[in-house]
Amino acid sequence: MTDAGPDLVAVSDLETHFPIRQGLFRTVVGQVRAVDGISFRIGRGRTLGLVGESGCGKTTAGRGILRLVEPTGGRVHFDGQDILGASAATLRSLRRRMQIVFQDPYGSLNPRLTVRAILEEGLVIHRLGDSPERLRRMTVALERTGMPTAALARYPHEFSGGQRQRIAIARALVLEPDFLVLDEPISALDVSIQAQVVNLLVELRQELGLTYLFISHDLSIVEYISDHVAVMYLGRIVEYAAAVSLYATPLHPYTHALFSAIPSVEPARRRGRIVLPGDVPSPASPPAGCRFHPRCPLAEAVCRTLDPPPVELDGHRVHCHVAARHLAAAGAAEASRQVAAALAATLPADS
Amino acid sequence: MPLLEIQDLVTAFHTPAGRVTAVDGISLSIERGMTLGLVGESGCGKSVTAMSVLGLVAAPGRVERGRILLEIDGDPVNLATLPESRLRRMRGGRVGMIFQEPMTSLNPVFTIGNQVAEAVRLHRRASWREARARALELLRLVRIADPERRLDEYPHQLSGGMRQRIMIAIALACEPELLIADEPTTALDVTIQAQILELLADLRRRLGMAILLITHDLGVVAETCDEVAVMYAGKIVERAPAVELFANPLHPYTIGLLAARPEHRAGGKGPLAAIPGMVPQPRDFPAGCRFHPRCGHARKPWCMAEQPQLRELSPGHFVACHFAGELDAARPTEPADR
Repeated sequence: MTDAGPDLVAVSDLETHFPIRQGLFRTVVGQVRAVDGISFRIGRGRTLGLVGESGCGKTTAGRGILRLVEPTGGRVHFDGQDILGASAATLRSLRRRMQIVFQDPYGSLNPRLTVRAILEEGLVIHRLGDSPERLRRMTVALERTGMPTAALARYPHEFSGGQRQRIAIARALVLEPDFLVLDEPISALDVSIQAQVVNLLVELRQELGLTYLFISHDLSIVEYISDHVAVMYLGRIVEYAAAVSLYATPLHPYTHALFSAIPSVEPARRRGRIVLPGDVPSPASPPAGCRFHPRCPLAEAVCRTLDPPPVELDGHRVHCHVAARHLAAAGAAEASRQVAAALAATLPADS
Repeated sequence: MPLLEIQDLVTAFHTPAGRVTAVDGISLSIERGMTLGLVGESGCGKSVTAMSVLGLVAAPGRVERGRILLEIDGDPVNLATLPESRLRRMRGGRVGMIFQEPMTSLNPVFTIGNQVAEAVRLHRRASWREARARALELLRLVRIADPERRLDEYPHQLSGGMRQRIMIAIALACEPELLIADEPTTALDVTIQAQILELLADLRRRLGMAILLITHDLGVVAETCDEVAVMYAGKIVERAPAVELFANPLHPYTIGLLAARPEHRAGGKGPLAAIPGMVPQPRDFPAGCRFHPRCGHARKPWCMAEQPQLRELSPGHFVACHFAGELDAARPTEPADR
């Protein structure tokens, strides 16, 4: 990221806790720690992939950055400007430059509006351009996403899932933003359509110099599209690195387990499967110590009591007592092998 | 004789807008103890095929042609013409089923124990006490932790992965010979998916049941199935043993699906080899080869005019493509203009 100039997005210690209320007076009896202190930066023109399983807080994190969900703590800077402390007017002008594309192109487009009304909404809110200028912008946005301009007069239901997702991307592009939060943008699409939309996103990033936060549970797509990747578990980032390093030398046992769980058609890519026991605990009462310890085959005494601090080497950051020890002693490549070997040793002999 | 043999199945829906053929003349067979993967995208007819086998196609849909032969005590019985009363005994008896949504498949107002025991009692003479004991056994079989406690809990108290285990327990209640699993792991996280797939493989080994696994995920198929049938637009376009299919795909659609995966281009160099065009919906399947509008190898006039039939190109490897075998299979379909 150092070569990319100043960071466009800088997030530090971001927290989003939701109160749990109970009883007659709706007393707050607890907190769901959906996002519990995460930090990352995204360089201009770069893509950060945010991966994790459902409930890990990746979506809440993405929305927190745009203040679509109000964070309860931490700081977010966009192009040097403070987002969380921004006034309504400043926030509005910043939001023109930050757009979001949602997972479900069936739910995210209002079925009662024409595509024209859907695309124009943002321009009206931000009071951008007169009527001919708006039409020009909408036409350009549609063309960029590979949709015919005739689509303007039609309704969302007339389009397939892939086309609707293109419309949702066009809606984001109409405002000529710098930064897009892409929240599982291809998960709802058919397999043969996913590659089309990924190619489109890569093309747009190159042509328009866009910066992406790409949220997904699909590790292979994230590897393809991202410069850096952050792995989340129970509201925390457990590992952060350049995509190349993360995939070549994963450090955290959870990252290893995630990789080994992906079913692959290439026998060479199938690693000894680490099947994690149990389910993800509730973010309302995260485990003490390392949050992953109840499911971690390598958990030690220290993991049950002490929250692992981040340990970083050459931009590869991990929150794990065991991996950190190997990292400090032998570097990322060797540490990754050590963790993998330790995990393999815990597997039953027949698998 | 195979456990299940589907011959020339046609299932259509008669809607006000006209007749829609969701499954258009497919043939399949599953041997005892084997796993067959049925892969395809939305609208290709894979779920309708499963529903047809189970006799669960609801009006305005109807099985219009073909035979669905299940081997019962050495004799083939045609499920397509079986009366509803016998179908009902077959479902959950000889043929178990699990679906994608473990959230909606369980009744929220009854306990887990009640629902599993009910499945046992529907098909067997058993007192509630016996059925409950059997339910406990089944929960252990699907490796639910702390099964005695779980019996008295309600579905909302369980995670998605555990609910799917309960669904599997219910499906196994009567030791089925065939388990039909329609996207059983699609709603689950990848680490939970790994648990469920491992469980299914283990149960298959131990109980010797056959599985018809319906999925859109080629990776899941590669890791769990003995044989694969690829469906596209209501037809089977390719069928082969799993190892053979992934090593040597012959239909341009299968080749295209495999080439479009990002693993194929790890390192982020160059665009993904996307299949152009849209997934056709049953209302407007194209004439000729149904894949021709998206196929980089389509040639006039054959592919536009004539529907290719399945041909056996090598032992056990069937392909429905006029030019299969003449294409350079190593070369992926080049993405045409979007």
